[in-house]
Formats: sequence, structure tokens, C-alpha cells
Amino acid sequence: MSKTIRIAGAQGFYGDSPLGAIQIAMQHEADYLMHDALAELTLSILQKDKMKDPTMGYARDIEVHARTLYPIAFSKGIKIVTNSGGLNPESAAEKVKAILEKSGIKGIKIATITGDDVLARLPEFKENNIELSNLDDGSSYYDSKFPPTHANVYIGAQMVKEALDNGANLILAGRVADPCLALGIMAHEFNWKIDDASSQEDWDRMAFAITIGHILECGGQASGGNAYSEWPMPYSVSDLGYPIAHVHDNCTGFITKAKNTGGKVSRNTIREQLVYEIHDPTNYITPDVVVDLSQIILQDVEENKVSISGIKGKPKPEKLKLCIGQHEGFVTEQFFFFSYPFAYDKLQMFIKAVKETWTKLPIQIVESRFNIIGVNGLHEDAVDIPDAEELNQRSELGLRIAIKHKDDRTGKTAIAGIVCLGLNGPPGVISVPGWGNMNRAMLSLFPCLIPRELINPVVKYFNV
Amino acid sequence: MKIKLIDIASARSGDKNNVCNIGVMAKSIEDYATLKKYLTPEVVKEHFKGLIKGKVERFEWDALESLNFVCHEALDGGASRSLRMDTLGKNFSSHLLRLELEIL
Repeated sequence: MSKTIRIAGAQGFYGDSPLGAIQIAMQHEADYLMHDALAELTLSILQKDKMKDPTMGYARDIEVHARTLYPIAFSKGIKIVTNSGGLNPESAAEKVKAILEKSGIKGIKIATITGDDVLARLPEFKENNIELSNLDDGSSYYDSKFPPTHANVYIGAQMVKEALDNGANLILAGRVADPCLALGIMAHEFNWKIDDASSQEDWDRMAFAITIGHILECGGQASGGNAYSEWPMPYSVSDLGYPIAHVHDNCTGFITKAKNTGGKVSRNTIREQLVYEIHDPTNYITPDVVVDLSQIILQDVEENKVSISGIKGKPKPEKLKLCIGQHEGFVTEQFFFFSYPFAYDKLQMFIKAVKETWTKLPIQIVESRFNIIGVNGLHEDAVDIPDAEELNQRSELGLRIAIKHKDDRTGKTAIAGIVCLGLNGPPGVISVPGWGNMNRAMLSLFPCLIPRELINPVVKYFNV
Repeated sequence: MKIKLIDIASARSGDKNNVCNIGVMAKSIEDYATLKKYLTPEVVKEHFKGLIKGKVERFEWDALESLNFVCHEALDGGASRSLRMDTLGKNFSSHLLRLELEIL
């Protein structure tokens, strides 16, 4: 009889609702909750928090989870694995510890995983001539003229396994690669190898776990959310059930969702999540294993139950991926609306006046963009826009103006300079108070590879 | 004969820096054969009229009756540098589903 464990995809992004996870915990439908909080850009957001307050830098929804979800989960013996620690796992652990202690909870071991954050080590890498060349264009990081905002290496699952082996109830990790959270859980439960993997069996096991992690990492996106294949989605989404994987140590399993919930799990919803953010399906690269998904077998077994098997693994890549955030400048945007009649002609007149105004102001705009909302806002030049006569018949049109600039004064001056067009410009224009964005930091990501021997993840424990 | 992509497939797109991938899932085995024959990287790139600046790679995923299009230099420099509204290219899937394939 093979051993089975249940892992829930409890969070798809920083800011996701905790309700799906709370329901799974209350119904005790999982042994582990896997929370993924770190999209590519999330670390930039967390870095801004950390610069304002050095005790911040973690995904702040863990504070909500600590008050609502964790007590329920711990009372059922459910363990939680998350990368919500972000840029400051230890501070996150202190915060969670304080909240749990205030609630009278005892006997909980929190583990943090760090060592992925190499921002402070970039000068050391330069000194030691560690090559950091851009995966997209081959340029050297050391030639880059922008200041770094964060630098994190995608690390693997070994420390997740180690922390669970040592009895952790809650793991707050930094930039552990999303699907590796599931691998750490399965390697712990099934006693699989990770860093010491050496056989085809080891690689196939890891590849299976990574695939489960990939399906779960976006939460409700695997269980009927955001699903074109199920459109018009004849199920409720306000109480969408989050996905749960039942996995066996023989590398088979199935995906289902929480009971008494909306959403749907089908071969189609799982297919959609599988293709998401994957490039070559024969070479899905993760820190611990390269996954070949080309022979995957997905089958509808019964309602809301899809079986999964047939995944192959290959040895891990030689190097790890490092993403360095760079502060290139700012983006400012503002919205205006134009009413019938002549909505389109008025909008065009307004754009012309904006451009003329900007030439007279002491500002430096690097690039500007004008989108007509409801017409070419999302797809820009890829769509044909209706002719002026038709657009003039619309009851309203929206205009979005966005600019890139290098200094933090240009945005304010550029927008302040054009609001007078509400009175001085064409009739029937409004701007909505509070809308728009001033000086949103414009960050670029510098993706490169780094020798894995330079990176040594560390686990620390905090007892509650 | 023309076939609307939305009648034979679903799609989902996502970002990795300045690269956008669009997974296209056929509704049936027959539809997959049609996609394989007619939904070429060239057709996809042309449909986006300059939004995709780099090359488009196509990966066939027979086990899932799906094609995966990896579109390079497609996101105006990447999510946080982009001046677009759809910074992450999440709606590349929607726009692709608008495509009509000319079936010979």
C-alpha cells in the first residue's frame, strides 16, 4: 500500500484571499498548506517596504494568516509551507511568533529559510570576477548603470525538507522557487532525495513533485478560476474551492478541490494551469531538477478529480537563476473621460493639447502612451480601432495617459500642467479624483545565472 | 473556410520578464490536428502586429493536445518597465483567441 499525503494550493499570490485556505483547514482536507506569495516582481514591492522599515520586507498577509488561518491549521496538525518570508523571513517569524503567543498558542516550531538574498554580496561577486551575464541579451551586470533594488537566487527544496525533518510546523522561506515548496514536503514525507539525487528514480520523483507544485502554486487558477476552457464557467467563483493534490509515493496522484465550494477541477482546468508560464515542456527548469512534462497523463476520473502521472525528470541545472531588480526610473499615469457627443474628436483634441503643453514644461519624458479605454487599452496596436464616426457615437470614451521619466519631479509637473484642460479644453471632460499613479517605481529585472556553490541556504528555528 | 480559434481552443498566457507564453489547448484531437497545421509561429506573430518584437517559438505538447507559444520581447520590456495596461500579458490569450484561421 503506497503512502498518500494531501497538499493544498492555499495561496496563489501576495494579496490572495485566505478564505479558501481557512475552509480547507476547517474541513481538514489537507495535511499541508502550500502558499506561494512571490511572483517575479513581488520582491521589488517588498524591498520598498523594507527600505521604509527594516523590520518589514515579508508578504504582509502572513499577519492575517497568523490571526485567522494558522490557529485552525495547527489545531488539526496541518503544516504550512510558504515563501512569504520574502526578503525578511526572520522578521516575519518574529512577527508571527508574537501574534501566535498573544493568541495563547504553544508548542509550534517556526523555521525560516534564508541565503537566497544576495543584494549585499553583489560587490563580493564583482571582486571575485563571478560572471553575471543577462540571460536575454548577454550583457554583463557589472556594466549596468542602474542601482539594484533586490537580488535573489531561486533556491531549491533541500532546506524545506530539512526543516520538516526537524519538526517544523510552519516554514517561512525566502525565494524558494514556487514549485519546490511541494517538493520539499513530498521529499520529507516520502524520504526522497533532493541534493543527493543520483538515479533516474530520484529525478522522476522530484519531477513529479515539481509538477504537483506547479499545478498548486497559483491557487484557484487550477480549480476553475481564470478558465477559458470552462467558459461561461457554470459554477460559482465567489466561493471558489482551492486545489488539493492527493499524492502517492509511487509518483501518481490526483488533483481535487475543497468540498462544498464553487469552482471546478477538470482535465481542462489542469491543462490550462500546466501550460502557464512554462516554456519548453520537455525542459521545465527548476533549481532541483529539469522536468520533462511531454508524456504527462492527465485523466478525468470523476467530477472534480483529475489523475496525474507520467512525468520524467533529468538532472538539475549546473547553475541557479538570479534575478536582480534595478531602479530605472518612474511611471506616472492618469485617466480622463469624454462624453457624447463627439467623444472621440474631443479625446483627440485633448491629446494634441497635452502634447503641446508638455513641450512648454521643464520636464523630461522618456516615453509616453495614450490608450483609449474600451477600444485599444489592453491590446494596443494589435487591434483595429473603429472609425471616428462610430467612436463619436459612443456615450463615453476613456483616455489613459502614461509616461516614463527618470526623475521624480517630471510626473507631478506633467500631470499638474494638463489638469487645466478640464476647464480650458474640449467640453464634457472629467478626471476622477484619486485615480492614477504618481511616480510608480519603474524597475527592470536582470536575469542571470550564478554558480550554485556560491549559495548556501540556511535554516533557523523559532519556538513558540 | 475560416475557423475561429475560440471555437476550437482555449488559451492562457503569462509572463517571465519580457517573454510572454501563450498556451493554446485544443478542444479535441481533431482540433489539435488543425492547430498544429495552421496555427504557426508566423501566424501568431502577425496577429499581434508589432506587440511581439522578438521571435515566436512554438512547442508541441501532444499529451495535452496543446501548443505553447513562447513570444520573446513581447511585454514592452517586462512587467515593471512596461507602459502598457496589461503589463503581464495576461490578455495575450484573449487576443489570440480572436484569431481566425484560414483552413485550406
